[in-house]
Amino acid sequence: MLSYIAKRLAIAVPTLLLLIIISFLLMHAAPGGPFTQERALPPQVLANLEAKYGLDQPLWRQMATYVWGIVSDFDFGPSFIYKDRTVNEIIAQGFPVTLTYGSLSFVLAVAVGVTLGVFAAIWHNSWLDYLAVGISIGAQVLPNFVMAPILVLVFTLWLRWLPGGGWEGGAWQYIVMPVIALSTSFMASIARITRSSMLEVLNSNHIRTARAKGLPERKVILRHALKPAMLPVISYLGPAFVTMITGSVVVDIYFSTGGIGKSFVDSALNRDYAVMMGVTILVGALTILFNLVVDILYAWIDPKIRY
Amino acid sequence: MALLEIRDLGVSFDTNDGVVNAVNGVSLDLARGQTLGIVGESGSGKSQLAFAIMGLLAKNGHARGSVRFDGQEILNAPPAIINPIRAMKIAMVFQDPMTSLNPYMRVSDQMAEVLVHHKGMAKSEAVAECVRMLDAVKIPDAKGRVGLYPHEFSGGMRQRVMIAMSLLCRPELLIADEPTTALDVTVQAQIMALLADLQRDFGMATILITHDLGVVAGFCEEVLVLYGGQVMEKSPVDPLFGAPSHPYTRGLLRAIPRVDQHGEDLDSIPGSPPNMTRAPKGCPFAPRCDFAGEDCHDHLDPLTEFTPGRWRACNRKLEEIA
Amino acid sequence: MVIDATKMKSLGDRLAAEEVRGRSPWADARKRFFRNKAAVAGLVLLILVGLFALFGNSLAAWSNEELDFTVMGQVAELGGPSFASGHYFGTDDLGRDLFARTVQGTRISLMVGIVGSAIAVVAGTLYGATAGYVGGRIDNVMMRTVDILMSIPYMFVLILLLVIFGRSIAMLFVGIGLISWLDMSRIVRGQTLSLKHKEFIEAAQATGVPTFTIIRRHIVPNLLGVVAVYATLLVPLMILTESFISFLGLGVQEPLTSWGALISEGAGTISYGTLWQLAFPLFFFIITLFAFFFVGDGLRDALDPKDR
Repeated sequence: MLSYIAKRLAIAVPTLLLLIIISFLLMHAAPGGPFTQERALPPQVLANLEAKYGLDQPLWRQMATYVWGIVSDFDFGPSFIYKDRTVNEIIAQGFPVTLTYGSLSFVLAVAVGVTLGVFAAIWHNSWLDYLAVGISIGAQVLPNFVMAPILVLVFTLWLRWLPGGGWEGGAWQYIVMPVIALSTSFMASIARITRSSMLEVLNSNHIRTARAKGLPERKVILRHALKPAMLPVISYLGPAFVTMITGSVVVDIYFSTGGIGKSFVDSALNRDYAVMMGVTILVGALTILFNLVVDILYAWIDPKIRY
Repeated sequence: MALLEIRDLGVSFDTNDGVVNAVNGVSLDLARGQTLGIVGESGSGKSQLAFAIMGLLAKNGHARGSVRFDGQEILNAPPAIINPIRAMKIAMVFQDPMTSLNPYMRVSDQMAEVLVHHKGMAKSEAVAECVRMLDAVKIPDAKGRVGLYPHEFSGGMRQRVMIAMSLLCRPELLIADEPTTALDVTVQAQIMALLADLQRDFGMATILITHDLGVVAGFCEEVLVLYGGQVMEKSPVDPLFGAPSHPYTRGLLRAIPRVDQHGEDLDSIPGSPPNMTRAPKGCPFAPRCDFAGEDCHDHLDPLTEFTPGRWRACNRKLEEIA
Repeated sequence: MVIDATKMKSLGDRLAAEEVRGRSPWADARKRFFRNKAAVAGLVLLILVGLFALFGNSLAAWSNEELDFTVMGQVAELGGPSFASGHYFGTDDLGRDLFARTVQGTRISLMVGIVGSAIAVVAGTLYGATAGYVGGRIDNVMMRTVDILMSIPYMFVLILLLVIFGRSIAMLFVGIGLISWLDMSRIVRGQTLSLKHKEFIEAAQATGVPTFTIIRRHIVPNLLGVVAVYATLLVPLMILTESFISFLGLGVQEPLTSWGALISEGAGTISYGTLWQLAFPLFFFIITLFAFFFVGDGLRDALDPKDR
């Protein structure tokens, strides 16, 4: 198992480096270069950048400094816009917020999606099955940026139950709508995937064997069907994580929750390349880490994958 | 009283193309310790017959008629009745050992689970018993391999595991559904020899389902020939091979390749098995039968005993098909 | 997000299976497709939305850029949907005709969806088929590359691209095109790989059928089903991606618009009581996505008939 993890890490590290290098080069490919924009940088900012990267140095040396800063100190450098803030400070401000509603959404989507999918498959062609299929078909056209205004319309403007935005240190009223908006379409996808893979597994030969052993249906499902049925769900979690973290941008904008999505869009609109890159690389690192966890989970369930 | 009494068993499936009648009005008796072969082409309904006995039909399948085991009705029985019988009294070996074992569970876990569930054994005790059973089916180094996953065994070894698992509770009836079809020819012979040994040692009644008459000849006392879900002929094994009483059985026998008949073309039965979506009317074999008359397409005489112990369902008299 | 791997695999298996019957699976599939009410309804909806995008402008009383000065500043009171004013869908916050803008948004969103999907089909099929057919080391390197590209948070990189190189439709196409083919190439490769080892391909090779004929007669027709289904399901995903970016204000720029941009505008003004500004674009967005999903699912079920 350890060597399997090592092997995966051996792929993950170059991927991350590649991502850093690509973003750095992209930044330098910007028309006129990153430091000479239509709007001149404040002198203090320019001085910070000069001190950090040595802007008179050749490109590769600037890149090496940048990459080394990230690798050795997890330091993304100073902001391009704000003279007294570093990228780290800006990210550190929003990250806990994103993490809070992000992980809640993720857990909710997986828990509800899997439960719904499993029961829909067990009671195939029952009302619950039809309900689950109906919900999951409906919800796939309700991505976060559609859910968000609909939720605000219903719960804030009509029912007046929940505040339309803000964070307030994470009080529950402020978390409910972001979490629902972010998780709905994933919940639906997970339910669909679980249902169809569970149906497939329940029709498979080894489940017939389990039934022939005289095990009660509950044991057949829990001991024999659940594990293999989870495999497609697990491989979906990687992409789901990426899309979800992307969706957090919409949540941050629409609900003013102030997560890293907000920093990202602000920096995109301000052309604060350092912050954009910092967020992109952080998200990339999280994605790679998460995929690693997913791979390990997969290998743990499926004995045919040899480490 | 017979161990297994099947009366007028029918199996049908609801499909998109209409109702498929896989088994039509099959009746049979099986005594304790007796070996019965059920022979038919693919699609003749032989596997579905077995699944119906065990209550393992797919969700769109329906069974009619009566199946009594030890006097108790088990057809369409609720879980409370059928589950204690499965594995304990009636066990089953499936066709494809590659997919019939749970690929995500260690062999020890999936075998021991039977004993833990039915006999309330402790896990360690159950595993020890599993190792003894794996020894009995001649798996080398059973103790060392019981903790492996199914994909770490070869096809023949997997089928041995399957057989060992089915015998754990010493069932009174073993149903083997084409146990060798998915295996190499040399392995087939080993598995059949093993089954024959075990049948003798454990003394259980056995139903062997196969499309291979050759396998039946070496293993069974009695044979049931199934076509289009109906019994065509039922007979002790020797007279069946010596003097088949049904045109279909004859066709089957002529289609067996023989070493002593060099140079001759192998006979095949023209045509293909019937489309089962139509309601059965007349003899299912009639379209392919050399002896069929007009009447065969309209009705089929019921299964009748023409010599003591031998039964046939055919409109033609025995002498007419000679 | 919505493409179900289990079902795609089952479809692939079926389409790679040897054809026993003489009748082509496409003839059967067509019959099954037209028996599927949801799929046919989806197809009809798509045709209607397509007609709306093509000919909607000739029904519009206003152009999409004209400002209606009579409703300006009083949009909530006067800008609602009405036949009398010629604003069938009302006006947007600036007093522009929402009907004309929805027609324009529909055009752009559909175009992005279809072009994105087309890029995926061409690039993904070529890449995947090459990797699958060549095999070995090259296949390994090609697929590792795809793995690496897939673990990059593409939406962030896409936004990075849009910011650095300026926001334009062309850039949007490049960005969406860069990512959309990845999944397609994986699916095509898997399918090619399983086809390559099928008996009927080996039989064709053994009987001396030229390679090109094998690819044309056996590989391509068997890839076609999977690719067609996947492309149909990819269109709504591309539309979703574009809408997402436009919702953030980083995609299509004024005076052009798209569903995402319109939904964003409508969502921004719901508290002023101008609900129609959200409702009409959202309606078109939702029915079109539904229609594509139903057609895609119907196509897949028609090609891979199984009771689920």
